[in-house]
Amino acid sequence: MNGDPVAAFRVEAGELLDQVEQNLLDLGDRLDDRDLIDAVFRGLHTLKGSGAMFGFDALAGFTHHCETAFDRVRKGLAPLTAGLVEVILSAMDHMRALVEGAAPAEIGNAILARLQQAVTERAAPVAPAASGWRLRFRLPPEAMANGTNPLALLDELRGLGTCRVTALTDAIPPLADLVPTECHVGWEVELRGAIARDDIDDVFIFVMDDMELTVEPLAPATEAPVLPAATLPAAVVAAAPPADSAPVAAPPAETPTRTAKSGESVRVSAERLDELMDRVGELVIVQSRLSQLAHGHHAGAAGELALRSIAEEIERLASELRDTMMVLRMVPVASLFNRFRRLVHDLARETGKTIELTTDGETTEVDKTVIERLADPMIHLIRNACDHGVGTAEQRISVGKSPVGHIHLSAQQAGGEVRIAIRDDGRGLDRVRIRAKAEAQGLIQPGQAMSDHELFQLIFHPGFSTAAQITNLSGRGVGMDVVKRTIESLRGAIDIGSIDGQGSTITLRIPLTLAIIDGLLVRVGEGRYVIPLAAVEECLELSLEEDLRSRGRSFITLRDRLVPFLRLREMFETGTRPDPHQKIVVIATGAERVGLVVDQIIGSHQTVIKSMSPLHRRVATFSGATILGDGGVALILDVVQLVMAGQHQEARLRAAG
Amino acid sequence: MTASILTVDDSPSLRMAIRIALNGAGYEVVEAGDGLEGLNKANAARFDMIITDLNMPNMDGLTMIRELRKSPEQCGTPIIFLTTESDDAMKQQAKAAGATGWLVKPFVPDQLVRITRKVLGR
Amino acid sequence: MSMGEATPTPWDAQGNLEVLTFDLGDETFALEAVLVCEILDLLPCTAVPGADPLVGSVVNYRGKIIPIADLRRAFAMPQADATLDSRVVVIAIELAGETIQVGLRTDKVHEVTTLRRDASEAPPAVGMRWRRDYVRALVRRNQGVVVLPDLSAIFQVFAGDDAGASTLH
Repeated sequence: MNGDPVAAFRVEAGELLDQVEQNLLDLGDRLDDRDLIDAVFRGLHTLKGSGAMFGFDALAGFTHHCETAFDRVRKGLAPLTAGLVEVILSAMDHMRALVEGAAPAEIGNAILARLQQAVTERAAPVAPAASGWRLRFRLPPEAMANGTNPLALLDELRGLGTCRVTALTDAIPPLADLVPTECHVGWEVELRGAIARDDIDDVFIFVMDDMELTVEPLAPATEAPVLPAATLPAAVVAAAPPADSAPVAAPPAETPTRTAKSGESVRVSAERLDELMDRVGELVIVQSRLSQLAHGHHAGAAGELALRSIAEEIERLASELRDTMMVLRMVPVASLFNRFRRLVHDLARETGKTIELTTDGETTEVDKTVIERLADPMIHLIRNACDHGVGTAEQRISVGKSPVGHIHLSAQQAGGEVRIAIRDDGRGLDRVRIRAKAEAQGLIQPGQAMSDHELFQLIFHPGFSTAAQITNLSGRGVGMDVVKRTIESLRGAIDIGSIDGQGSTITLRIPLTLAIIDGLLVRVGEGRYVIPLAAVEECLELSLEEDLRSRGRSFITLRDRLVPFLRLREMFETGTRPDPHQKIVVIATGAERVGLVVDQIIGSHQTVIKSMSPLHRRVATFSGATILGDGGVALILDVVQLVMAGQHQEARLRAAG
Repeated sequence: MTASILTVDDSPSLRMAIRIALNGAGYEVVEAGDGLEGLNKANAARFDMIITDLNMPNMDGLTMIRELRKSPEQCGTPIIFLTTESDDAMKQQAKAAGATGWLVKPFVPDQLVRITRKVLGR
Repeated sequence: MSMGEATPTPWDAQGNLEVLTFDLGDETFALEAVLVCEILDLLPCTAVPGADPLVGSVVNYRGKIIPIADLRRAFAMPQADATLDSRVVVIAIELAGETIQVGLRTDKVHEVTTLRRDASEAPPAVGMRWRRDYVRALVRRNQGVVVLPDLSAIFQVFAGDDAGASTLH
C-alpha cells in the first residue's frame, strides 16, 4: 500500500524543512561553516526538485529563487550575514505554508525582495570577465562510442556566442590504425561574448572528468563589459514578477482536502526492524511446527506435549511482538527539543534579549503520542521563561549575571516516568507578587501560611498571571491552567522549583506506558541484573589481591579518589563463592559514586522495563525488571538507592573508626 | 524525423512522468520495465537515445549498459542514467560501463527535456 | 482491614464453595476456584534479594513479572525442594484496591471440588500450630481436613505504604 504520494511528499518536505532550519540555526553561530552552507543549499535544491515533481509549482518556484540567491553565498559572491540567515528562516516559514497549500503571494514576494537585497548588498567585487574565451579540448577515444556527439557540443558552444572553430588533427593516427568509432580530433574554439565560465563547463558536463580542456579568457575588448554578477540579480528580479502569478494560480490546485499532520509517520531504527524480523522468523518456524502437528505427525502423548510446547512458544512470541511494536512507537525527545531552538531564537529576537538554549537527554525516548501532546505545554513554558524568567541584558548585568540568559531543557527516564525539566537562570518566581495576586483574586486569605509548593501551584489557577505587562508573547494567564490540564491528561504532574535571583525549574513528570532501558547486564552469583547504562561510568577488574586487601575496608582508590564499593554478592546473600575475576562497575549519580562488585559482566542489553509486582514495590534496590532473550528475568538495579547504600556504608565504617 | 527514446525504469510512475515530458517536447517514447526488457527492446529496434534507471530487478542498469555497448549497433547511442546527487561512485561506474551522461533525481521535467536536447543535438 | 479478623468465607446460598485443592508439605489447602488464573509447571524463577521471604522470587508469566509466593513460609513449614508434581498456581487477588497476580508454589495440585459449609469449622483459638489469623476455616472431607487459608491476611503485610520494605541492610 503506497498511499498518497502527495501526502508522502508533505511529510518528507516537513522533515526537510526541519533539517534545513536546524542547519540555518547552527549557521547563525558559525557563519562561515562551508559544510552547513552546502547542506542548506542541497536541502533547498531537493525541496525545489521534489516540489516540482509533485505539482507544488509555487513552492518550487519560490524555492528556486531562494536557492539561486543562496547559491551566490555558496559561490562566495555574497557574504553570509546574520541578517541573511533571518531572511531565509522567514523564507522557510513561507515554504511551510506553501506545502500546506495556502500562502499569500505578497509575503512570498516581500521575502524574495529582502533576499535580493541581502545577497546583492556589498557583493564582493568580481573581476571583469573577459570579452570571451579561448578553449581547446580533446575527448577521450571512447567518447563517441559511448554516445557523446562532439558536433553537438560544438553546436552548444555556438549557441553561447560567436565561435571560430579550428579542428586539431595532429593526433589522428594513420589510416591503417584508425578506428572509425574512436575520436581522435581535438578542437580549438574562440568564443566571443559576455559568457560565464560556468556556462562553458556546463556544455562539457558529462565528459568533464575524462577530457582535456583548457580555457583562457580572451583579451578584453575596448568597451568595459557588463559585470556578470549584475546580470544575476536582474535575472532573479525579473523572475520574481512571474512568481506573482504563479502562487495565485497554483493554490486552487494545491488546496489540500486534508492537511497531513507531521505526526503521522514514525522513523524506525533499522535495528528494531531487524528484531521484528527475527520475531516474525520465529513465528514462521512455530507455525510450521503447528502445521506438522495438525497433520498428525505426532500422535498421542507426544502430540500433546508438542502442542503444549508450541502454545508456549506462540505465547512468548506474541508477547515479544507486542513489546517490540510498542517500542517502535517510541521517539527520542530530540525531535521535540529541536523545535524549540527556533522558538527561543525568535523569542530572543522579539524580546531583545540574548538567550541561549541548551539541552541534555535528547536521546530519552517517549511514546509518540505523548511527544505530540507535550509540545504545546512546553512551548508555553518556554515562552514564559523567555518572557518573564530571563531578564534583559541590562537587568542581568545589573545583578552581576552574564548578559546571556540560559534556558536548559533536560529529559531523563527515572523509575516508571520520564522527567522533562525546563530550567532558566533568571530571577526566579516572585513569591511576593504571586501571593499578592492570589490574595487579590481571593484565592487565599491574607496572611494565610503557605508552603512554597502550595504557593506555586496557585499559578495554575485559570486567569492567574503575574506578568506586570501582559506581553504579546505569553498572552493572558490562560496558558498555565491549560498546561496543567494537558499534563494531567497524560496522568502526569508538574513540579515547580525556584530560587530567588537564580532561576526557576519546571519539571514535567509523565508516567511511561512503556519504558526502555539501555543497560549493562551483569551476573552476581546465579542471578542476572541490569545496571542502567546511563549511570555506568566505567568497569574495572577487581584483582584477587585487591579483593583480599580491601576486606573490611570497602574502598578502592580510583584516580586519587576514594570510591566506596558494595559487594553485591554479600548484599544479595547469594551464598555462592566469588568468581576468580570479579569486576567492579562504577556507577554515578551526579557527583556521588559507588562501585558495584559483580561476578561477571555479560554485556550491554536494551530491552523493555517491566514493573515489579506491588508486592515488591518497596524493595527499593530494584526499580524494575526485564525479560532476557532466553525468557529469564533480570532485575534492574536502582542506581540512586545503591549510591545511597554506598554512602551509608561509608558513614558506618567511618563511625566505627 | 521524430527522435525515438527508450526509457528503462522499474517505476511505472516515473516512466510515465518521463514519457509525458518527452512526448510534450516532440519525442517518441518506448518504455521498458527492467534492464532485461530494455536490452531486448534496444536490440530489436534502433533508438536515438536511451534513458535508464540503475536500480532495477532482473537486470540492473549498469549491466544493461555494458551489454548494450557490446553490440556494434548501439555504438554511439547516447545513454543517460538517473542518479541521486551524492552518488559519485555510481557516476564513475556508469560512465566506465559506457554511459554518456546523467540526470539527477529528483528532476523537473524541464531538466529532462534540456538534457535530451543537449545530448541529441535536436 | 482490622487485624485478627478473618475474611468471611464466600459460601454461596447453598452453603457451598468451589475450590481448588493442593498439597503443601503434609497438609492439603484449598482456595476459591474463581481466583485461579492458571496452573503452570514450575518455571525458572529469579530470586529477589531483599524481598520478604514469602515472596522471595519472581517469574516471567506471559511477559509479566509476578512474584512466586511460598505459603510454607506463612505457615512456618519446613522448606522442601520441588518435585515432578510441583506446580505453580497463578491467582489474582485484591489488595488495597489493586488486583495483583501471584504464583503460589504447590507440591501437588488436586482437583476442583466443592467444600460444604456444614463440614467447616473456624480454626481453634488455641492448640493450632499456625497463626490463627492466616486460616479462615478447616473443612472436613473424606480424605481428611482441608485448610482454607486467608490469603488477604497473609498478603496484608504488603498493603501498607511502607510495608514490605527491603530486608537488605
